Amino acid sequence: MSRFFKGSSDSESEDDEITSSDEEELDVETHEVPSGARRRFLKGAGGIESDESDEDDTKREVRSAKDKRILALEISAKTIENAQKINDWVAIQNEFDKLNKILTKGSIGSIAVPRFYIKTVAMLEDFLNESLIKEKESKKKMNAMNARALNTMKQKIKKNNRLYEVEIEKWRLNPEENDEETPTEVVKKKKVDLDDFDETLADEEFEKEDAEGDFITVSKYNKPIEYTSENLFKKLREVMEARGKKNTDRLEQIKILQKLLEVAITPYQQIRVLLALIPAQFDYNPSMSNYMNVDMWKSTLKEINQLLMILETNPKYIIHESAEEELLDKEPIIEVDQTPFAIRGSFVSFIDRLDDEFTKSLQNIDPHTTDYVDRLKDETELYATIVRGQIYFEKNLLNESTSRVVMRRLEHLYYKPDQVIQTVENSVKQIFPESSKSTITPASSEVDSTELIHSLCVYLYKKGESLHRTRAMLCHIYHHALHNRFYVARDMLLMSHLQDNIHQSDVGTQILHNRTMVQVGLCAFRDGMIKEAQSCLQDICGTGRVKELLAQGLQLQKYAQHPPEQEKLDRQRQLPFHMHINLELLECAYLTCSMLLEIPSMAAAGSNPEARKKIISKPFRRMLDFNERQVFSGPPENTRDHIMGAAKALAAGEWQRCQELISAIKIWDLMPNTQNIKDMLNRKIQEEGLRTYLFTYSSHYVTLGLDQLANMFSLPVNSVTSIISKMIWNEELAASLDQVDNNVVLHRVEPTKVQQLALSFAEKAASFVEANERTLEQKQTSGQNQRDQQRQKGQSNQQHQNTEKRTTHHQKNNQQRVRNNFNNVLGNSVKGRTQQNRYRA
Amino acid sequence: MANYDLIPRMIPYLDRHLVLPLLNFLSSNKIYPDHDLFKAKYELLAKTNMVDFISELYIEIHGDKEVPSEVLQGLETLQTEAQKVMDIITNPEVIAALRQDKLQNLHFLKEKYGFGQFQYNCGIYGGASDMLYHFRVLSTDHDLNLSALWGKLASDILDCNWDATLEEVQKLKETIDQKRTWFIHWSIFVFFNHPKGRDSIIDVFLSPFYVNTIQTSCPWILRYLTTAVVTNKRRKNNLKDLIKIIQQESYEYKDPITEFIESLYVKFDFEGAQHKLKECEEVLSNDFFLVATKMEFIENARYLISETYCRIHLKIDISGLSQTLNLGQEEGEKWIVNLIRDTRVDAKIDFKENTVIMNQNHTSIYQQVIERTKGLSFRSQVLASTIEKREAHQLTNAIESVTE
Repeated sequence: MSRFFKGSSDSESEDDEITSSDEEELDVETHEVPSGARRRFLKGAGGIESDESDEDDTKREVRSAKDKRILALEISAKTIENAQKINDWVAIQNEFDKLNKILTKGSIGSIAVPRFYIKTVAMLEDFLNESLIKEKESKKKMNAMNARALNTMKQKIKKNNRLYEVEIEKWRLNPEENDEETPTEVVKKKKVDLDDFDETLADEEFEKEDAEGDFITVSKYNKPIEYTSENLFKKLREVMEARGKKNTDRLEQIKILQKLLEVAITPYQQIRVLLALIPAQFDYNPSMSNYMNVDMWKSTLKEINQLLMILETNPKYIIHESAEEELLDKEPIIEVDQTPFAIRGSFVSFIDRLDDEFTKSLQNIDPHTTDYVDRLKDETELYATIVRGQIYFEKNLLNESTSRVVMRRLEHLYYKPDQVIQTVENSVKQIFPESSKSTITPASSEVDSTELIHSLCVYLYKKGESLHRTRAMLCHIYHHALHNRFYVARDMLLMSHLQDNIHQSDVGTQILHNRTMVQVGLCAFRDGMIKEAQSCLQDICGTGRVKELLAQGLQLQKYAQHPPEQEKLDRQRQLPFHMHINLELLECAYLTCSMLLEIPSMAAAGSNPEARKKIISKPFRRMLDFNERQVFSGPPENTRDHIMGAAKALAAGEWQRCQELISAIKIWDLMPNTQNIKDMLNRKIQEEGLRTYLFTYSSHYVTLGLDQLANMFSLPVNSVTSIISKMIWNEELAASLDQVDNNVVLHRVEPTKVQQLALSFAEKAASFVEANERTLEQKQTSGQNQRDQQRQKGQSNQQHQNTEKRTTHHQKNNQQRVRNNFNNVLGNSVKGRTQQNRYRA
Repeated sequence: MANYDLIPRMIPYLDRHLVLPLLNFLSSNKIYPDHDLFKAKYELLAKTNMVDFISELYIEIHGDKEVPSEVLQGLETLQTEAQKVMDIITNPEVIAALRQDKLQNLHFLKEKYGFGQFQYNCGIYGGASDMLYHFRVLSTDHDLNLSALWGKLASDILDCNWDATLEEVQKLKETIDQKRTWFIHWSIFVFFNHPKGRDSIIDVFLSPFYVNTIQTSCPWILRYLTTAVVTNKRRKNNLKDLIKIIQQESYEYKDPITEFIESLYVKFDFEGAQHKLKECEEVLSNDFFLVATKMEFIENARYLISETYCRIHLKIDISGLSQTLNLGQEEGEKWIVNLIRDTRVDAKIDFKENTVIMNQNHTSIYQQVIERTKGLSFRSQVLASTIEKREAHQLTNAIESVTE
């Protein structure tokens, strides 16, 4: 259909077409020029808005599409105004929809919203509020249609006006301005280009403001912005409203807020601006994986400190998460004996976020550069802020925040050695001398790290929620283990029953648990408790996924099974480098323990195939097998080579060579008291060497002189006697001591092939019968259940209860065993974690 | 010797009255200075109603003859008070009248409880015990009943009525699930005084809950447990559990008695065990509860040593063994002969060389196979018969259902 011959009946659809073409298209169209009086009459008479199409006195005019649209807008605005007068909400609603429709179509480009639109909308809002109040007051109901329209409008306007809040605010300030621009004038003006329109508008504003002489800054859009403490709240509101919108320039916002901060005078203003500024800075970086700019982080830290200082000096104000959201943009009136004025906000989340960003930056900076070290230096200040926050919360009895912040503090401390903690604490005292006023951590002149950690943990045990308690417990155990208090750590671990349900907790806590277990294991190792150390480390080192379990780097997967999101999450969980536990040292300790346990056990198994299947440490066995299969093995180069060489030497009874190889491992230097550890290991090697020797060669001797054995392994005679006695008592060695001649009499005879087979046959028969019994038992119980179900439900229930009772009893027994048998429990959770990972994968 | 004395550690878990015999024991043993002990006793009793005793003590501490008037006054008021209550309770008419009215009955019971407590405080334990017994029979109030039970236990202990106490202990054990530490301490009085007590102490203390309590809050109880296990010949199979616990707790608590077990069964250091045994003697004679068991303990400890020794050794020099057992040459020989006879250790004495030769009964592989397969046929038979029974049962069931 040719545009020229468009019927006047559907001007609206026409509008659509034209505007959707979105160009400056000239069009000839029939259009009425509204005559206000007539329209008003029509409205008043008809109530329901009718289209202007039925007007007869049309006039042909040539206009740009934009002009036309503005015209249409004006008409709608006028109609709304008219409808307001007679309180006709149905009309208003219709017209309002139309208005917006036109507007949205038109404003795809970058043109500003016409001022009169804003005016209309603002007035409409006022009117709406007014009539809502009226409606409430008067008992008389509106007619149903009208009332419904009113409610719809209420929502629509609320939604709509949020978009134009800034403009409305502006209009409200001086509604007179531009009012001379009557619609007709605009129409006339709009002969020129619309871009000009904007400019002229802006220019006018510009001139006016300039004339007033308050000019300060000019924004990108040529709009002057002035910041004074008077209009601070307004500006603040503008910024707040723009927050999170698509096209908001975040940097600009931050700048505005910083300027606002400069002009803020009263503490209330400062607090309000800071409460907006700090999150704005956190928001600046939208992506999860990137870290916050270091400079910005520092300025945020400064601002948080400033906020803290304001709050400390003005106890009248308190930031509270559950406070009423205040709408008033003015200074609150504070009476002297009033409770503190609550401002809505979450201060503890700032500290949390700041800390998180710090960690994130450390995760992303290459740990081997000076950047990392420089960044790490900021930790002291961050820590000071945390301490300061803690004291503030404590003073104001914000228990939840306090425990969160105490947790943060603890997490900064628990893995550090004493000296570092002392330095940090001392520098905190310098930065912030009030730090000693805390009741949780009473001050003492000497910083005792153990006491500090203890008091922090105790606070969390008492006040914290369950997650915090768990984490505090783990940190506490970690700290004890770090300080070689194995028994204390072990008892805490067992008494807290952490391991029963650790695999149900979040991954972060599981990582902490794994770290703790490893640390406990290393602690046992340092104390020479080889067996305990091995069982602590077994489940983490035995998996071959140490890195992943400790969150110290991503494991390279041969068959990439992880989806990218999974990997992303993993990456986020990584620990910063300075918290890492040295993996090589860990492996070294684990393998050494495994060697000391596995080699004698292998020797004891001898040629017995059944016993040979009993494996203490799988990775160790695997490595040893691999090592033995090699045709040539050169001199040991890395830690593993050393241990493998040592293991072979130990198996052959060359304990001295074993000692040499173990002592040659360089990584021991990372442990404190290296010499003590080496001495301990040497002694263990001698003892295990003796045991291995006895296991391996006992069948070849009738008697062995105790003195000679002592000589061979350079052990004192009575410890040789004690070792052998123990072996005899535990029935590991078929022998007895001859006190008179001072030698060991060996009774062991290697069983012949037939005898061996007979033994294993007997064993198998026994297990066969056992299996049969078990099957029958199973069948019986299930059969019984079935029968019971057939008979009576009540009876079967009883039966069920009985079995249940039995099972719960069984569980209880299990728990008891768990308490007493340390070695069984360890590492339960780790398996849980791996399973969980598998599910996720 | 004072560092092995456990009484200071135990006092927090005991009643004032129960502490008194302990302090008396201490003063007879002269570990602590007399004056301190008297003071402690005075403080202990100041809050009880044993006025005679208090005034006596006061004189002893301060040396002068004048007893402070308030003490005497206290005595008088107490006597009048007691008289009043006595009058009510012993008046048969009142009782007869009260029986009619339930509410009054309740009141009467309360009175009874109060009077029992009062008697106890005055040191009339027998009366208190009776009173509380009657109260418990009649009363339904759970809390009061429980405290009455504690009270009765204490009175019976102090009255040396051991049969009754053993009963009380069993009752109490069934009712409580908290305050186990207290219970453990109180029950020691009973266990080491009643002839059957040492069986029950092993049963009770080695049950999982009590092991936990001992390990966490009062590891010193291990001494009593160890003594009980060592002196009880029939309970040798509990030794393994005990060794495990001792080993676990060795970093937290050790005394010569636990160390003796440790050096014998963990370190296999016979010389060390011998030294510890000597120390044990001294510790035991200074322990209120264990004095009576001292000889028995040493006797049994020797058995343990020689048993272990024999199991490990093939040829033993008699003089060496006697030395290990703290015995002279001749005594040692006698001891060993007795040992061979009693425990039927398969051994012979070579008089010429002055040695004991153990006969090794080394199980041959033939025997091992027999051992392993011994039960198999029986077990299979049981299996078969159960299957048969089951089938028969099913058959009858089927017939039943058909006839129905």
